[in-house]
Amino acid sequence: MKDMGLWSQLIYYFTHNGMYVLQQFNLTFLVSIYGVLFGAIVGIPIGIWISQNRKLSPVIIGIANVIQTIPSLAMLSILMLGLGLGENTVIATVFLYSLLPIIKNTYTGMLSVDLDVLDAGKGMGMTRFQIMAKIRIPLSLSVIIAGIRNALVLGIGIAVIGSFIGSGGLGDIIIRGTNATDGGAIILAGALPTALMAIITDWILSLIEKWLKPKTASES
Amino acid sequence: MQKRLRVWLAGLLVTILLLPLGGCSLPGLAGSGKDTVRIAAQNTTEQQIMAYVIQGMIQHYTKLNTSIINNLGSGNVSFNALKNGNADISSIRFYGTDLTTVLDEKFQRDPSKVASKVTKEFQDRYNMTYFKSYGFADTYAWMVQQSYAKKHNLKTISDLKKLAPKMTVGIDQIWQNRPGDGYPAFQKTYGYSFGTVKPMQLGLLYDALAANKMDAILGYSTDGRVGSYNLKILKDDKDFFPPYDASPVATDKVLKQHPEVRTILNKLVGKVSLKTMQTLNYKVDDKLQEPQTVAKQFLEDHNYFEGGK
Repeated sequence: MKDMGLWSQLIYYFTHNGMYVLQQFNLTFLVSIYGVLFGAIVGIPIGIWISQNRKLSPVIIGIANVIQTIPSLAMLSILMLGLGLGENTVIATVFLYSLLPIIKNTYTGMLSVDLDVLDAGKGMGMTRFQIMAKIRIPLSLSVIIAGIRNALVLGIGIAVIGSFIGSGGLGDIIIRGTNATDGGAIILAGALPTALMAIITDWILSLIEKWLKPKTASES
Repeated sequence: MQKRLRVWLAGLLVTILLLPLGGCSLPGLAGSGKDTVRIAAQNTTEQQIMAYVIQGMIQHYTKLNTSIINNLGSGNVSFNALKNGNADISSIRFYGTDLTTVLDEKFQRDPSKVASKVTKEFQDRYNMTYFKSYGFADTYAWMVQQSYAKKHNLKTISDLKKLAPKMTVGIDQIWQNRPGDGYPAFQKTYGYSFGTVKPMQLGLLYDALAANKMDAILGYSTDGRVGSYNLKILKDDKDFFPPYDASPVATDKVLKQHPEVRTILNKLVGKVSLKTMQTLNYKVDDKLQEPQTVAKQFLEDHNYFEGGK
C-alpha cells in the first residue's frame, strides 16, 4: 500500500469498502436529520410563542445560548450518563444544539414581518390565528429555513463526533484512520463524505430558502 | 390565562413525548429496541473485526436487528456497557484481563484455572455468559526493529538487560500499573527496568517504533502490524506473559430473549486461529480494508460456518 499515492489509496479504499462507507454515510445523515427534525418540532413553536410573549424571549434564548456554549464532546458525555451509549444520545445532542438557531431564527422571522402588512390583515378582520397562519408564518418561512440550515450543518458535525460514544457513522472511519498504519487515506475517506454531506445539504436548503422568500406580485 | 396554560401543557406534552427516545428506535436506525442485538467493540482492530463477524453471523441466521457500539476505550468501558444494559455482547474479552480488572481478583498464572474462575464469577456476579475461546490468544510481546535486534544481538527479553537503562520504550496504557503481569512484576521477574517508559495508545506504538522514536515497544502478538513493519518479537524466556484466550461475552438477558444468539456464538468457538486473526488484522491495518469488509469476506469464505464446519 505504501507505494501508492494518497489519491490512488483513496480510490482503492472506496472500491473495496464502498458499501460500508455508504452505510455509515446514511447513518450519520439520519442521525443529524432526526436531531434537527425534533429540534424543529420543538423549536419553531417555542420561537413563535416567545415572539408573542416578548418578555420571555431573553430567558428562552438565554437558555438556548447556554446550551450552545457547552462543548459538543462534553454534552455527548453528559447525556451519555443518562441515555447510555449509541445513536439516540447523539440524536438528543443534535436536538439540543439545533434549538438555538431554530428558535432564534423563528423569533427574528416573526418580528421582522412588516407591520403594515399586519395592520392590513387586522384591518380586514383577520383573527389572531389567521394572522399567524396566513401572514406571519408564510412571510417568515425563509428565515426559519435558514435557521434549520444552520442547525443541520452543525448537526452533521456533531453526528460525526458521536462516534466517540459508539454511535457509528462516518466518524468511525476517521477514528479508524487515526489508528491504522499510514491511515491518511482512511481519514480522508471519512472526512470527504462528511464535508460533501454538509455542503450539499446546505446548498439544497439554501435553494429552498430562496424559493420560499416572500415575493411581491411585481417580482414574481 | 387559559391560553397560557394551554401553551405550558403543549410544552409539557412535547417533553414527555421526547423522553422515551432512549428506549425506542427510529426508522432507519437500529436503535435500542427489543429486537436489536447490540455488540460492543473497543477501539482496536481485532475487536472491531470480531464484532462485525458476530454481526454478520446474526444477520445470516436470524432476522434480528444488530447495531455495533464502536470505539469504546477499554475493556472496563465495554464491560460497563454490558452491565448497564447499553450493549448485549462484548466482541472480545480476555479471561486474564477480566480477572484482575473487572473482578478485581488476585493475579493467577494457570490459564485453565483462570478461565473457569472468570466464567463462574461472571455468571454469578453479573449474569453474563463467558463463551469458550475463538481459538486465538493474545499475548503481550516485546518487539524491536530487525536492524536493532541484529546490532545488539537480541533474541530474548533477558538480552535487553544491559541496554535497558538507556532505552526508550513504549507500552500499552493499561499495562503500566497492572497487577500480576504488569510493569512492576515485570521488573521483579526480569530484574531490570527501562530508562524511559512512555504509555501510549496501542495503535500509535507501532508507528512510533517504525519512526525510530522508540527502541522497543510492548505490543500484541496478534497485531497485523508486526508483519507489516517486519518487527522482531523477543522471546519471553522467563514465561512472564500469560496467554490471554479471546472469547465473546453475552448477557444472560439477550441469551434468554434470543436463544439463537447462543447457538451462533457457539458456532464461532475454536474457528479463528492465531494465524487467521493475524491475517485479518493485517488486511485492516495495512491493506485499507474496513473491519466490516474483512469480516464479511471471512464469513463468506467459511460459508458462515454452516453445519458446524
